[in-house]
Amino acid sequence: MDTILKVMRLSKSFGGLTALREITLEAKQGQIVGIIGPNGAGKTTLFNCLTSLYYPTGGQIEFQERPIVQEVSETKKRLIKRCAMLFFVLGLIWVPLFWSVFVPHTFFKVEVVLLGIFILSIRLLLVRGLVRFQIWAWGLMFVFLISDLWFASWWLTHLLSLGPMIGTGIPLYYFTVPWGIIAGPFSIYLMLQLFLRKVRQLYGFRLGPDAICRLGMARTFQNIRLFFNLSVLDNVRIGFHVQMRSGVLGILLKTRSQRDEEGLTTKEALKYLRFVGLDGRAFDLAGALAYGEQRRLEIARALASNPQLLLLDEPAAGMNAQESSELIRLIFKIREKGITVLIIEHDMKVMMNLADNIYVLDYGMLIADGTPDEIKTNPKVIKAYLGGGTAHAET
Amino acid sequence: MRWQLYKKDPRFVFLSLIFLAVLLPWLPLGASTNYILRIMTTAVLYMILALGLNIVPGFTGLLDLGYVGFYGIGAYTSGLLSIHYDLSLWVILPLAALNGALWGTLLGAPTLRLTGDYFAIVTFGFSELVVLVLRNELWLTRGPMGLPGIPPPSIFGHPLTRDWEFFYLVLLLLMIVLLVVTRLQDSRLGRAWFAIREDEIAAQCCGVNLIRYKVTAFAISASIGAMGGAFYAKWFQFIHPDMFKFWESILILCLIVFGGMGSIAGTMLGALILIPLSEVLRAVLPQGLFSARYLIYGLVLVLMMRWRPEGLVPFERAQAKKAKLLQERLTVSGDGE
Repeated sequence: MDTILKVMRLSKSFGGLTALREITLEAKQGQIVGIIGPNGAGKTTLFNCLTSLYYPTGGQIEFQERPIVQEVSETKKRLIKRCAMLFFVLGLIWVPLFWSVFVPHTFFKVEVVLLGIFILSIRLLLVRGLVRFQIWAWGLMFVFLISDLWFASWWLTHLLSLGPMIGTGIPLYYFTVPWGIIAGPFSIYLMLQLFLRKVRQLYGFRLGPDAICRLGMARTFQNIRLFFNLSVLDNVRIGFHVQMRSGVLGILLKTRSQRDEEGLTTKEALKYLRFVGLDGRAFDLAGALAYGEQRRLEIARALASNPQLLLLDEPAAGMNAQESSELIRLIFKIREKGITVLIIEHDMKVMMNLADNIYVLDYGMLIADGTPDEIKTNPKVIKAYLGGGTAHAET
Repeated sequence: MRWQLYKKDPRFVFLSLIFLAVLLPWLPLGASTNYILRIMTTAVLYMILALGLNIVPGFTGLLDLGYVGFYGIGAYTSGLLSIHYDLSLWVILPLAALNGALWGTLLGAPTLRLTGDYFAIVTFGFSELVVLVLRNELWLTRGPMGLPGIPPPSIFGHPLTRDWEFFYLVLLLLMIVLLVVTRLQDSRLGRAWFAIREDEIAAQCCGVNLIRYKVTAFAISASIGAMGGAFYAKWFQFIHPDMFKFWESILILCLIVFGGMGSIAGTMLGALILIPLSEVLRAVLPQGLFSARYLIYGLVLVLMMRWRPEGLVPFERAQAKKAKLLQERLTVSGDGE
């Protein structure tokens, strides 16, 4: 069997709190993989990292052998930081120069230097504001790209004497011309880099949750997140979003392909609703459904994006015995479609019935993995669940 | 059978209402016909504006306080184009809409990453900026002197001057905007907007690219606003920066809140009730108290918030109705169930 999801040494910390520590797990095509653990063990954090709602602090995730989060080495991080500092210093020189050309005789004025520092701090903050470290590089490039292009184009017009020759009296060309000449091609180089996928990956370009969904990973939420004021059918039709193609123009002109797509989507959505047993409620508002029905609707919505991997976050929470046995049947049916299921669950009975393979998390660490029978007898797991006295005092 | 279906279709209801409106100039209203027509033209214009704005706070759930900026951009685009180049109305309207969309995209692309109140503040700043530019760029807009002498639109060489002609023109525009808005809300795009409005995180996890769809919403909303502005300039034949002040944005927002955010029928109803209300008050209130009409506006809104905070036609009711209609249509065509 192929490995569909591979997580390697994944870590996530919020400030000082480490929510996940070096998690390594994998899921094979067509498996049902369970993740269990006491409250606060980091299960949902793991799901959020997988679907890119959080950006992991370290580690690597591969989905269908395609890296969706790449590890960036410490040396590279340091390099990027150094480049940023270099740019900062260069910028400090550049801003007064720029101003002195535009408004002569202001080179050593305090206001100009202060303004320069101010502008640069904003530039840097802007870059830093894109908090997640790995898109730091991307943001940095973008900011400098714009200002450099601006500068270079100004110089181009100046050299061709298209613009006002304000700076003619001052021999600053020796500084500004070389910088303009450097900045121009450099900007183009950066621009090329921004659009090359390989390079973006090298710098750890981040895929958003929508791109993850497009790749074929869909999820449900622990606290139900439906579109409560929309109809049940519309909820599922939103799930079809990634499979549809129509754009603004097609919609406004109501082209044949758009109408066909709409009709097909409606039909398919009704099919998915029948699959989870909600076809009777298709035209009610989602907020009017009972709790168990809402859970199933969320699954239908996730399935509508035609995923390869389905992440279920406590699907049986708050369900009675009959509902949860129905849910188990539903999950088996989903597996029969060839979809791999990753499932978080507290209900041990559900889990032991369902999962082919179980991973146990505790305090953000992986403490055990194996088949349900192995897990049941694992002393570490029992300790984590029933309380093991001073077990966590050392960590 | 089919007839039963059509009767409930909101599009059919809208069409029949517009047909009724077409009859308005022929009603025996005597000397006040033109006065009423002018008020109704204003009301329909505000309907168009409200429908445009509704896309951003109503469909996508982002508070937009800078809508009037696009209205002003459209008005000045139309005014300048017709003064300097004397273009036909059918060229000016799309150009103004495109210009609005351009500025909507330029404003939206960087700022739509902000959330909630911060975004509202940025849009507010934008509308102030537009007014400042209109006021200070004398070479382009003649600043505080305004832009007088905009030639009236002409259709097949016949210049429109009478009130009923403008009324018909604005009804035509309303029909176009209604067509655009109803088609959008019933499509992939509209559903993506609704998803963003309901729950951004869930929408993202369904594959909706937040920034792209927010910018699209903003651009379409801006282009409708600009089209309204283009009509306004052609109708009034004089524009001035003060006409596009912040208060207008709030007024249009009030129309939406009053009618029900996100529902098309509610938005139109809001404009139809609140805009003529001002004129009714002009007739009812004594001369000295006329400027107190905003006070009464405020009172109406406060009462509304107390008794019916979700507006005249709440969003979820509009959605429920739409779903029922779809169900009936599917059973008639034999596709459903």
